[in-house]
Amino acid sequence: MSNIATYTAAFVDAFRVDETQVADLAYQSIEQWDSLGHMQLMSDLEERFEIEMDIDDITDFSSFSKGKEILGKYGVAFDA
Amino acid sequence: MHNEPGGSSFDIKGILKAQCNRSPMLFIDRVCHCVPGQSATSEKNFTYNEWFFPTHYEDDPNVPGFVLVESLVQSFLMTFLSLPEHFGSRTSFLTIKETQFRRRVVPGDRLVIDSTLTSLKRGIATGTSIGRVDGELAVSTDVTIGLPKILEKYKPKT
Repeated sequence: MSNIATYTAAFVDAFRVDETQVADLAYQSIEQWDSLGHMQLMSDLEERFEIEMDIDDITDFSSFSKGKEILGKYGVAFDA
Repeated sequence: MHNEPGGSSFDIKGILKAQCNRSPMLFIDRVCHCVPGQSATSEKNFTYNEWFFPTHYEDDPNVPGFVLVESLVQSFLMTFLSLPEHFGSRTSFLTIKETQFRRRVVPGDRLVIDSTLTSLKRGIATGTSIGRVDGELAVSTDVTIGLPKILEKYKPKT
């Protein structure tokens, strides 16, 4: 599975949304992405990509697109 | 050490200090053995005086499933609320999974619950609880619980 597919699947599983919706998601843009949903998403992403994020990156992780940028710092590339 | 943060056992007075559940929604009587941050073994004695037995059911009293799940979760809470840094903290349900009911629990039964904490990270506790009556498997579940005061520190800046 590609990194983008893995990343998308984490959002789909965490928030029970369709994969066509994830690109526009931001923190609190849907009721499922609240503080609890955020931590579940962070834990899931860490597990899927075998990384451990710093607290500053967790609090900066405010949207689907911002998240890709942050994961890049941990060696998770999304380019084709 | 008994009934104190970091303690290895808790009676009802200690449980009331360690967690926020109160009667009629407190469903463990005693934590007989606790390794803070790792495990807890708890007991709940169900007598006919429980508030739910007269209506669940009048002709066949048995413990409602949600009460059994709550008992399992409250025992699980003690695996980490026994830690000094979390003692007395408020908690919230995140998920329960793989819950299985294998045996009816009826007035007079003692439910003995073995709870194991598999992960406690950034305010999210994950683990399992297994309840037995007379050594026989009655109910089990995987559970994830949040500590809101910790989670608050990690929420995104808006």
